[in-house]
Amino acid sequence: MRIRLALALAVAAVAAGALLLGGLFRDSRGAVPAPPPEAAAGALENELGTGDTASLVRSLQATLRRDPRNVHSYDLLGLAYQQRARETGDPAYYTKSEGVLRRALSLASNDLLATSGLGSLALSRHRFREALALGRRARALSPTTARSYGVIGDALGELGRYRKAFAAFDRLARLRPGLAAYARVSYARELRGDFPGAVAAMRLAVDAAVDEPEPLAWTDVQLGKLYWSHGHLGPATRQFRAALEAYPGYVYGLDALAQVEAAHGRYARAIRLERRAVETIPLPQFVTTLGDLEHVTGHDRLARRQYALIGVIQRLLAANGVRTDLETALFDVDHGVRLSHTLALARLARRDRPSIDGDDVLAWALARTGHCGEALRFSERAFRLGTRDAPKDFHRGMIERCLKHDAQARLWFRRALDLNPHFSLLWAPVARRYAS
Amino acid sequence: MKKVILLLVVAGAAAAAVAVALARGPAPQAGNASSHREAPLIAEDPSADNTDLYAFRSPDKPDTFTIVSNWIPGEDPAAGPNYYTFSPSARYNVYLDRNGDGKPDVTFRVRFKRNAGQFFLGDTAQPYTVTKIVGGKSSVVATGTTPPDNIGPRSTPNYHDLATKGIFPLGGGGSVFAGQRDDPFFGDIGAIFDLVAIRKGVGNAGGGKDFFAGYAVHTIALQLPIADYDTTSHVIGVWSSTDRQVVTVAQTKVKVKGKTRVRVAKKVVWQQVSRLGNPLINEAVIPTDKKDLWNRLSPATDKQFEQYYTSPILAAVINKLYNLGVKESDRSDLEAVLLTGLKQPNLNYTGPTLADELRLNLSIPPTAPHKVNRMGVLGGDLAGYPNGRRLEDDVIDITEQAVAGALIGTNIPLGDGVNADDKGYLSSFPYANDPNAGFDNTKGEPKP
Repeated sequence: MRIRLALALAVAAVAAGALLLGGLFRDSRGAVPAPPPEAAAGALENELGTGDTASLVRSLQATLRRDPRNVHSYDLLGLAYQQRARETGDPAYYTKSEGVLRRALSLASNDLLATSGLGSLALSRHRFREALALGRRARALSPTTARSYGVIGDALGELGRYRKAFAAFDRLARLRPGLAAYARVSYARELRGDFPGAVAAMRLAVDAAVDEPEPLAWTDVQLGKLYWSHGHLGPATRQFRAALEAYPGYVYGLDALAQVEAAHGRYARAIRLERRAVETIPLPQFVTTLGDLEHVTGHDRLARRQYALIGVIQRLLAANGVRTDLETALFDVDHGVRLSHTLALARLARRDRPSIDGDDVLAWALARTGHCGEALRFSERAFRLGTRDAPKDFHRGMIERCLKHDAQARLWFRRALDLNPHFSLLWAPVARRYAS
Repeated sequence: MKKVILLLVVAGAAAAAVAVALARGPAPQAGNASSHREAPLIAEDPSADNTDLYAFRSPDKPDTFTIVSNWIPGEDPAAGPNYYTFSPSARYNVYLDRNGDGKPDVTFRVRFKRNAGQFFLGDTAQPYTVTKIVGGKSSVVATGTTPPDNIGPRSTPNYHDLATKGIFPLGGGGSVFAGQRDDPFFGDIGAIFDLVAIRKGVGNAGGGKDFFAGYAVHTIALQLPIADYDTTSHVIGVWSSTDRQVVTVAQTKVKVKGKTRVRVAKKVVWQQVSRLGNPLINEAVIPTDKKDLWNRLSPATDKQFEQYYTSPILAAVINKLYNLGVKESDRSDLEAVLLTGLKQPNLNYTGPTLADELRLNLSIPPTAPHKVNRMGVLGGDLAGYPNGRRLEDDVIDITEQAVAGALIGTNIPLGDGVNADDKGYLSSFPYANDPNAGFDNTKGEPKP
């Protein structure tokens, strides 16, 4: 697996003294928390295939050698490459996918699959304006095809244009109800603070996914995370186990269960599970959690090694066209990395991605650099949909505390802990300390 | 919604292959989505995916006819630990059109429940309810339980007996079976675009390999008394579909005793997401940008797709490959056979409304099983496709030859080299055979 080799080389370079993330832990203040659930480096956080993709790729390549003008084969190959990216975590497949999908469009400029495939690719690379334009083009090519509305809605949501995003999800849901629509409707309802509605929609997604192990595991994990984020540890655990039942070794299931184990204080088990996830697919959010687990168990040297790896992975992502500014900014703010530089990065990321998460990360970066008045404005924006999300509550608490609104701050800390006492491996204890 | 690759093989000639449409079976999860939720976008939705539909007069009970409707393509019996089931949140429909208007006159609607808990080994038996709807009036005509999937001699011993217990009487006459079956469909799709299992080497000069051998599907089979459904023309139209529930983002928020509560709409809105009448329509006739639309509609509005029948893509493909001079447009012969039924010869015409349905003439007696001609009407056997469709009918060869002009005097022996299912069929209801056990499964194609 090429990515593992690349990572190994890069880690060796780190060990040799070329510290990629200068000033790591310069401003550590002893608190090194896990990212909130939405901080995932999304491009890679996707379903895994059923294992046939590699041979599919070979077969399509063979077809195209014989018939180099076969548009449909380019389409399928482009999608298969995106699937390979998910299976292996190697973002080089994004670059390959783009190449063949562009080739398809050069042969047939109005090809629907290539257009929406490039839209999906842009979403994976967090290029949301590009994704929106491609989604709209696909919609113009075929207004009755449901998939384009998913691309459009996803992009609009990340651009903070929620009313239109939700309208696109509704359109998707009316045109083609099913897993893709239910999961998006669930997410939108969650953003609107409608927890029961979000659970109901995700349950439908689970019921629609019954015959595909990986999508079933994916929806189980999503439903579990929904429960988790609202403090329902028992139901969350059941869904995570169901995911691993449906798809043994499912990395997102391992990662989620690791957090359950940590919530119960069983750190050794948590580390074992998270390490399995990281060894299968080294996604930044898994590596962060592993580092945080090592940090809270007093293994700072090991933790630092994990954190250094994240910078390497993000460089690899960036080299293949994936934008990770927001994720990098959150990691850096959480871990106290080069905070003044990080504030600039958070501003940039938020401009690129003016979603409630963009607002929240910027608010958090502002708070940690002492710009608490401005931070409050963005925190208020981050709550504009009525979202219930413990990390955002906690960030707000820190902002209020910084503004010497001590009573308000305590309310926000309690609100975070009431919603999910395990919202963050390392910030939850801080919230508990400040709440009383 | 069946996904199939048609492999066209000119018998006796040097073989060349072409793939049309997407492969049937577990296609790649090529979906992709937003930054952090990453919901799949091209979910295949196999549990809502109609794979094949059959309608024929029951050979062993000629006063009845049988409809076999299949879902969930490419079930790999050895795919554990996660076994296949009908979706508990979908609605499965079999429609009968008795007056040729493309609209349902009788509906059989089946809803399945999830068995308690997760799908642990052997826990795939699902309780279900069959509702019959006639003229807006619905009544429950059967409740049953599917046999579990065929896992192996330890979990599901004596599978045939177990499955036979899965036949339940229909109120008002007839029988129903629902559950896992061997996929009766056969054909060689191990071609260049095969998304499931890649054949080594390309080009299959006859001796085709049945890709579907060893794979299973989920079946809803109905056996119905002819006397209760016969029409003056004796022809009935049949199609099947799947509906899913529409849920939208906004729910009404209401204040109840000062607390904001969400009022969930009581009335469930359903949307059809898949349908099937004649074989291969979704795959070989309807273009990519119209597939979602086509799958949402009922046959009554099929006139809007007329051009894809009269100028079929498949004809152009055959010409491109073999340069056979197949007529590529004005194919009223194909339109007739697929959308209205055949008037000349008088086989199963239902009137001028264009509607994709299987049309079964109930007055044509069934052919004795040992005399069945796999080419159906093209082979002189009027009891077969396109008069309804039997499990034995070789629809890939029939379709290829019909597109090449078999109904307008051009006989070209196109075919895929697979002429029968490897497993054969049962001699009585539900006819579709028991699925292979996961324990000792041999499939047509090993996954590479």
